[in-house]
Amino acid sequence: MDFLLDIKTAMLPEAILSLTILMCTVLCFMLKQQIQKVIYIISLLGLVISLFSISLLAANKVFTAFYNSFSSDFFSVLMRFLILAGTLLVIVMTKDYSFTFKNRQGEFYLLILIAALGALLLAGSNDLIMIFIALETLSLCSYALSGFLKKDKSSNEAALKYLIFGGAASALMLYGFSFLYGITGLTNLTEIFSYLANNSGGTMLNLTLFTVISGFLFKVAAFPFHSWAPDVYEGAPVPVAAFLSTVSKIAGFAALVKLMGLAFNNIEIISITLGLIALLSITAGNFMALNQMNIKRLMAYSSISQTGFVLIGFALLSYMGISGAVFYLISYLIANLGAWLAIIIFNDQTSKNLISDLNGIAYNNPYFATCFGLCLLSLAGIPVTIGFMAKFYLFHAIVQMGPAYLWLLIFALLNTILSLFYYLKVIKAMFVCGQESINSKLVFNGGVLNTSFIALAVLVVILGILVTPFINIARYSALSVKLPIKQIEIFK
Amino acid sequence: MEFLSLNILIFAPLIVAGIILSPLFPNDKIIVRRFAKGFSGILFIYSILFLLFFDPYNTDYQFKENIKFFSDTNWIEPLGISLGFGLDGISIMLVVLATFLVMLALIVSKKSITTKHKLYYSLILALTTAILGMVTARDLFLFFLFWELELIPMYFLILIWGTGKKEYSAMKFVLYTFFGSLFMLGSILLLNYFHVLNTGISTFSIEALTYSRHYEIPFLFESLIFLGFFIAFAVKLPIVPLHTWLPNAHVDAPTPVSMLLAGILLKMGGYGLIRFNIQMFPEMIKVFAPMLIISGVINIIYAALVALAQKDLKLLIAYSSVSHMGFVLLGLGALNSIGITGAMFQMIAHGLISAGLFLIVGVIYFRTKTRVFSHLGGLGQVMPKAFYFTILLAFASLGLPLLIGFAAEVMIFYGAFTSNSLDGFVLSNQLMTALAAISIVITAAYLLWVLQKVFMGNMFEKWQKVQDITPHETIALTFLSIPIVLFGLYPEGVTSLFLPFVDSLVSYFTL
Repeated sequence: MDFLLDIKTAMLPEAILSLTILMCTVLCFMLKQQIQKVIYIISLLGLVISLFSISLLAANKVFTAFYNSFSSDFFSVLMRFLILAGTLLVIVMTKDYSFTFKNRQGEFYLLILIAALGALLLAGSNDLIMIFIALETLSLCSYALSGFLKKDKSSNEAALKYLIFGGAASALMLYGFSFLYGITGLTNLTEIFSYLANNSGGTMLNLTLFTVISGFLFKVAAFPFHSWAPDVYEGAPVPVAAFLSTVSKIAGFAALVKLMGLAFNNIEIISITLGLIALLSITAGNFMALNQMNIKRLMAYSSISQTGFVLIGFALLSYMGISGAVFYLISYLIANLGAWLAIIIFNDQTSKNLISDLNGIAYNNPYFATCFGLCLLSLAGIPVTIGFMAKFYLFHAIVQMGPAYLWLLIFALLNTILSLFYYLKVIKAMFVCGQESINSKLVFNGGVLNTSFIALAVLVVILGILVTPFINIARYSALSVKLPIKQIEIFK
Repeated sequence: MEFLSLNILIFAPLIVAGIILSPLFPNDKIIVRRFAKGFSGILFIYSILFLLFFDPYNTDYQFKENIKFFSDTNWIEPLGISLGFGLDGISIMLVVLATFLVMLALIVSKKSITTKHKLYYSLILALTTAILGMVTARDLFLFFLFWELELIPMYFLILIWGTGKKEYSAMKFVLYTFFGSLFMLGSILLLNYFHVLNTGISTFSIEALTYSRHYEIPFLFESLIFLGFFIAFAVKLPIVPLHTWLPNAHVDAPTPVSMLLAGILLKMGGYGLIRFNIQMFPEMIKVFAPMLIISGVINIIYAALVALAQKDLKLLIAYSSVSHMGFVLLGLGALNSIGITGAMFQMIAHGLISAGLFLIVGVIYFRTKTRVFSHLGGLGQVMPKAFYFTILLAFASLGLPLLIGFAAEVMIFYGAFTSNSLDGFVLSNQLMTALAAISIVITAAYLLWVLQKVFMGNMFEKWQKVQDITPHETIALTFLSIPIVLFGLYPEGVTSLFLPFVDSLVSYFTL
């Protein structure tokens, strides 16, 4: 009965989600096309219940399941909460979109739910094998999802591109895992940490770390492994792009945090490498976003640069840094999902994707423009939004590391100016250009899409003011992460 | 004094902006305008009440307020950020100036704003909140927040209601200010870092970082922090190599926005220099005083010469603004009581004068659709009232005795001449003051030249039908003229408010 107890204490949301998936699988075969919407409702219900079940998990203790290969600490609970909330919104997004899938609606929800399950397992995994299985569960579903528009050329291109890049990255990571196993003879992360704390891993460990980390850098679309992102985001169905840019990324970051502890005797190298990757991601994302005409591609490049900001928090290898990254992830999730909701609301009604199509929309539909503008301002880091607070908190964490990290601060600050250019471009299109000839008529009704869109935009502002609880949560969650810390930090 | 709450003063405009923008508010331009105008009048009277109950001899913050969320002490407890406001000698005048100019800007908005009234009036009121918050913030983070917040309404105000190359100008304004503010952010974070390092407490409170800094920051970092603040305020003030956003933004902004931009937003740079660079770093300011004075003199002379070469009326006034802000730098660089008082007084004087001059330019442009002098001329015949007000404003601007500009310049020159802040430097204070004094001639030259070109001489046939200023504009200009004359005759009425504060400021770095 230990097995069931473990599930109750550590994996309740996963268990509920698995049951939902089984139910959807059966319904998928049973229901006719006309009533496949039932699956949409059931998957929503399943997600809501598993979101509630997270609160039943005791967050202040560490629980493990499956012989230590899954551990549920405060950090993973928070990450799993974010993943579930993100998936919930992604499913909400498909409400008016899913007619494009014709008779395959059920499959779509099935794949999204399985991908979410993979993401959840990844966020709690504590074993190399578990990490790999969870990552592949997430990835394989993502490949299928990005090619879900069968007849669409760019969707097929997206799936193939993602598959090839993803396969290579997984292979690289698995290669690293094999070295890790060769060095330590262990697969459990906790045991590997204690082994490395007492034994030096040798130079081989450096190589191992780099290969393992590159696997995750691919998943989060960081600089050298980012080139798949724009094409996939553009070609994939819009909800899938939203899923990839939020949920999938959060899962990748959650797993990356767990591997940070491996950097015991290479703190400087890992820290500097991650810092450089972070800066390059921000800069590359920003520069390439400057000239984008397509809103989806713009969001892809912007998400590459946002990834870089989160990686800065990792590069610091400090509790402050991790808490900064966690808080940044929360703000990124809210603002980015808001922006994707705006894109899908716009796309559902006009099937247009260019920035110039948004011209003058503020005078046709001020609520849409204001909410979208708020989300973009949050991504750019303008007060009073949660994005501003997140950036400030992250920069504060950099400075607390002392003058050695000032270069990181300076480049990050300069990049925030660059990012302002293209976020303001969209805002300018909505509020200023083409006031006379309004291109796109947009209806704004009280549907679930619009309600959640407005709710997210309100959250962006409210959380930008009532920020203390979120910083505290980020701090508690960072404390439950194992880090190779040598210096003593002031961390109340 | 229970009814005097800074929170109400600062956040009421934002709430009213929300009310105006809400769909329930009638979409009638007259109702919107009168409501906004009436509110700004009430706000001005309310801010005057603060002035009446203000105690100039108390150099500490007064009317202190602190809003708390989820915590007993602070706004963001983990970082030690408080949502605290307060007024002291240098902020009280700027608060009154801000509410005064906002009121006048709304009064003259009737003619120049013809579209999207709801959005316009709510943006102006949101801008008011940002300005008032900036001046009264008792926390570095809060100051930075309002500093950035002010960009959004300003961006839209220039972009939507502007003329000419408005997209370019609005973007340039935002990017320049944002660029400068990033240096300030770096400085704020470093200051916090050294406080944490030495005391173990994370705080952004201005009082804590000013008065209870009993530890040494390494010279390199202290100068970096100082320069970070300086660059942010140099962009805003503006100081010459960083001034290029100003002519664009002023020329392309609508008249009321130009008034606010020149009248109050430029003053934020001067306020920041006093509040942070001088008050927080009394040791560093002595090292960097030559930089202040030299850049001040460059500002004064260079911008005056550039103004002399302008063909566009609004560009000329914009460059004269740059030139006059140079006097502020000169006064601050003197590092003595009279110099800093003069700089403060010059900020107020220039706020009133430049707002008036921009209003006059707007009046002329609205009627003739041109701002080039060579197309104008003889307007004094058809617009006598505008002519009289222009004479008053131009003479105040060039420093005619018994008008407000004269009092400010005399104080600055006296302070700079008697100062010894350049001791040990190759140049002497007296030489720099003499150099700056040359500009008086140049200023007189371009202002009198404008008066002559625009209002005197022969008139083109097509301007025969030009109307004189409307009652709204007359009221606004009269309101501006009263303090210009009054405080020109009796400068002590203003200076006595901040003199004790400036004295206490100077006592920190008595040379």
